[in-house]
Amino acid sequence: MSPVLALVPLAEESVPAETFQLPQIDYAALAPMLILFGVACVGILVEAAFRRFPRARIQLPLALLGALAALVVVIMTAGKRTITAGGAITIDGPALFLQGSILVLGIVALLLIGERTLERGGAFVAQAAVTANTEADRSQAATSEGASEVFPLSMFALGGMMLFSTANDLLTMFVALEVFSLPLYLLCALARRRRLLSQEAALKYFLLGSFASAFFLFGVAMIYGFAGRVDFSGIDQAVVGSAASPLLLYIGLALLVIGLLFKAAAVPFHVWTPDVYQGAPTPITALMAACTKVAAFGGLLRVLYVAFGRSQWDFQPVIGTVAVLTMIVGAVLAVTQTDIKRLLAYSSIANAGYLLIGVVALNKEGLSSSLFYLVAYGFTVLAAFGVVTLVRDADGEATHLSRWAGLGRRSPLLAGVFTFILLAFAGIPLTSGFTAKFGVFAAGVEGGQTWLVIAGVVSSAILAFPYLRVVVLMWLSEPSESTPAVSIPGALTSAALMIGTVATLVLGVVPTVLLPIATRAAEFIR
Amino acid sequence: MSLSAYIPIVGLLALGAAFALFSVSIAPIVGPRRYNRAKLDAYECGIEPSPQPVGGGRFPVKFYLTAMLFIVFDIEIIFLYPWAVSFNKLALFGFVEMVLFIATVFVAYAYVWRRGGLDWD
Amino acid sequence: MLAATSSLDQFSHDPWWLVLIKIVGVFAFLVVMTLFTIWYERRVVGRMQVRPGPNRNGPFGLLQSLADGIKLAFKEEVIPKTADKVVYFFAPVISAVCAFTAFAVIPLGPVVSMFGHHTPLQLTDVPVAVLLILACSSMGVYGVVLAGWASGSTYPLLGGLRSSAQMISYEVAMGLSIVAVFMTAGSMSTSDIVASQANGSQAQFFGLTFTMPSWYALLLFPSFLIYFVSAVGETNRAPFDLPEAESELVGGFHTEYSSFKFAMFFLAEYINMVTVSALCTTLFLGGWRAPAPITTFWAGANSGWWPMLWFTIKVLLLLFVFIWLRGTLPRLRYDQFMRFGWKVLIPVNLVWIVALAGLRTLQNSGLESQIKTYIMVGTVLVIAAVWVLWPAKEKPTAASGVEGIDPGGRVGGAGGFPVPPLDLEVPPSPRAPRLSVDREPVPAGTVAGDQSATEQEGR
Repeated sequence: MSPVLALVPLAEESVPAETFQLPQIDYAALAPMLILFGVACVGILVEAAFRRFPRARIQLPLALLGALAALVVVIMTAGKRTITAGGAITIDGPALFLQGSILVLGIVALLLIGERTLERGGAFVAQAAVTANTEADRSQAATSEGASEVFPLSMFALGGMMLFSTANDLLTMFVALEVFSLPLYLLCALARRRRLLSQEAALKYFLLGSFASAFFLFGVAMIYGFAGRVDFSGIDQAVVGSAASPLLLYIGLALLVIGLLFKAAAVPFHVWTPDVYQGAPTPITALMAACTKVAAFGGLLRVLYVAFGRSQWDFQPVIGTVAVLTMIVGAVLAVTQTDIKRLLAYSSIANAGYLLIGVVALNKEGLSSSLFYLVAYGFTVLAAFGVVTLVRDADGEATHLSRWAGLGRRSPLLAGVFTFILLAFAGIPLTSGFTAKFGVFAAGVEGGQTWLVIAGVVSSAILAFPYLRVVVLMWLSEPSESTPAVSIPGALTSAALMIGTVATLVLGVVPTVLLPIATRAAEFIR
Repeated sequence: MSLSAYIPIVGLLALGAAFALFSVSIAPIVGPRRYNRAKLDAYECGIEPSPQPVGGGRFPVKFYLTAMLFIVFDIEIIFLYPWAVSFNKLALFGFVEMVLFIATVFVAYAYVWRRGGLDWD
Repeated sequence: MLAATSSLDQFSHDPWWLVLIKIVGVFAFLVVMTLFTIWYERRVVGRMQVRPGPNRNGPFGLLQSLADGIKLAFKEEVIPKTADKVVYFFAPVISAVCAFTAFAVIPLGPVVSMFGHHTPLQLTDVPVAVLLILACSSMGVYGVVLAGWASGSTYPLLGGLRSSAQMISYEVAMGLSIVAVFMTAGSMSTSDIVASQANGSQAQFFGLTFTMPSWYALLLFPSFLIYFVSAVGETNRAPFDLPEAESELVGGFHTEYSSFKFAMFFLAEYINMVTVSALCTTLFLGGWRAPAPITTFWAGANSGWWPMLWFTIKVLLLLFVFIWLRGTLPRLRYDQFMRFGWKVLIPVNLVWIVALAGLRTLQNSGLESQIKTYIMVGTVLVIAAVWVLWPAKEKPTAASGVEGIDPGGRVGGAGGFPVPPLDLEVPPSPRAPRLSVDREPVPAGTVAGDQSATEQEGR
């Protein structure tokens, strides 16, 4: 009865097995995301470490520095084209461009989020769990410091968005989808004023978002059943080569795209948008309108171009129909709105439709013009919501359109800026809105989707009406008793407004500062 | 390694279930039955029983919080197990990755701790 | 040679009748262990409280628990009218089934010859055996929660809630404590873990070669300690028996249960105790292997049916510790208990896992032993420095516990509960002198019948 020596564990046994392959990780390529997530973790530690010290004073510089550092890394690695982390993440032209735009837009949104001079504690409430419309709720709305968790949460959301637009397989994409969605659900519930509306918005967003995630996941399962792979190049090969029933592919793709179109706010998956945009704190609405849109379309572009590009005849008509619906419904419903945040929400829905033209075009021009559109629209919408945060009375922001009557007389500068932004939304030449729309329409014609372009032009004409109505309201109406005062913007909001407006102007007058970059970047790798 | 090694588990489960179901079902038959209305009331040490237990079905939120924390840590454990089993093969890479993972969860843990999520009062 | 190895494959080759025999065997083992443990507990606690414990039925009162069980079967079953009948019926079944199933993968001995077949003395083993046990203990929580909820009564509901919170909290600690075992054994199958504890490994420290202890209880002492503490919490045993705290919650989740349904919970609790003790034996105490002094003068101690004896002895010793704790310690307060679980066990556990993993990685790395030593000593010094220089914790004002009494004599600030001063002198009772005169001292152990030990709930 001898002891069995072969069973001696530990050090002797620990020869690294040949069968086990450690994944190659290109840390330089992942650095922007790692920086963002790292900064978010540090932000949470700051939350844990300081109890009474005003944490926002640390959090805002920390978040801004983190985002700036990530942006610098993105710019430095601009020439990088690689698939890394065991094939989970692609760093290619569109990925870097999208990461850069998410970061730039995110920095501007962070400026809006960090604004604390308009109201004590900023646009956020300290304790979201306090029952709305109670004495405790009113007192905390009036006196409490805002929650400083918004900064780490925003950083997590931005990091998730970057991961989402660089994911190279469907599972990583799903994880990224959750990483950027969950913080947004929370952020929506943190509005300082109109707590019930804010909570309703968060709950609605959460429930519908969970449905969309479930659709996405079902789609992943179906695609896996069809292709036997979840990575994009594997799916791409399976689309032409697989012996499995194409029905699985159709169902899977449909479910997948539903999940993505939900985030992109395309009709008929748009119903959450107006409520959430209205209920969420306005800086968060700006973040969602700019960055989430970039991430959602980044993911959509990658899925459709890289993984399913070869089955384009199957989905082009369907997505085209969605695009037409999105443009028309968004434009028509925008006409009927009486609340400025809802109006901007419907305008963002219509803009998702224009972007879909670039997506459906499925050519290099489509890709580059979509990338350009995302950046141009992002800057404009950030500036628009920045203006919304400034028009306020004792109860917070005055978002009803009737309250904006005569604003041009009271504060011509701000009304002028807003007019310019609305003209950009309407696509008037010399604004970025024109160059961006022109780009996607041209790509659509190039890609043989002229019917979409016609619908786009028609919807643009309809959409010009509500914008011009606001302009007319601001300049040609007499200010009434109820016209609110326009707050003096703090340095942060001023900076955000300025960046947004100047970018809108520059991209309209000299689009060549960005267009070549977008064109150079518009090449996916598999 | 086929799945047949799992069959005995099902067998023991079936035997346990049969025994439990049998004894629980047989008890009311062999036991006496003496009706008394007071016996059928919920027991609250002799005082008039409250119509609804614990304030109409609302529980302290602490329990939900504990359940959520449990999920977080349970997921951490589930990631730790395969790592632990193949620890020797993963070598330094596995160690570094797992330290990062544990550190990330620890950040959340520190936050919850400082914000009083672990206090029962 | 019927030696120590038992690879997983041999479990798939048992003929069906042998599997049946093993199933019945495990079942019988558990039921007998339950009956024995109840008697054992009452005897041991009795001795600790200087009274004899049950000694009437059968030799040494051994048949007492059997008699109690049969008595329970013939008791009236009372179902409260507010109960949810279906769930109320199934809750004890869930508890009992989960308790039984968990034992399926516990190794009781090496390969033995049974009716001409060579087969391991273990029902079965799978690559995720320990996970199965943990899964069964988590599923067992359902029995408790559903019982508390379905009773439609306040005390059981509170007991069920407390119990679920407690069990899931301590499950985390328990799950983390065995990570170190998996790391060392490189497997989650119970028979492999036992096999890997056969011999101590060689380890080099400071240029010297040591033979490490083979039992993980010694090698991974922090894990063992945490496992045992959380096992006590997991099985709702004193001093962590808050779900059934008699003085607060009558009986906790099973207040409204009677007759055999109550017996099922009782059975499940004792089987769970046996299972966690058996798992502890398997993971930390070398399983069925005879301890070192026996094997040196008796080579056959680890073959044949003898290991089952060692296994049972180890389990009974662990059960003794359970009972000892119950006989010694008062019950914790709920907040102290949860704080201990979440703020002590879990972080200590995580730090320990990381430290152990770091040590192992260092050992396995190709560095020179000199450098290894420097890294180790350096790490220890850094940790010690951090420990010393860590800023003193700010005392939260609303601390629970008696230390936080404010000058006004209240716990938890000026608005808190008043407490009597701790140095309060209790005036002597006016009856005291008379009592000491009237009562004659009775020598311990002479009271026949021992009423206090024969109540239904012997705990």
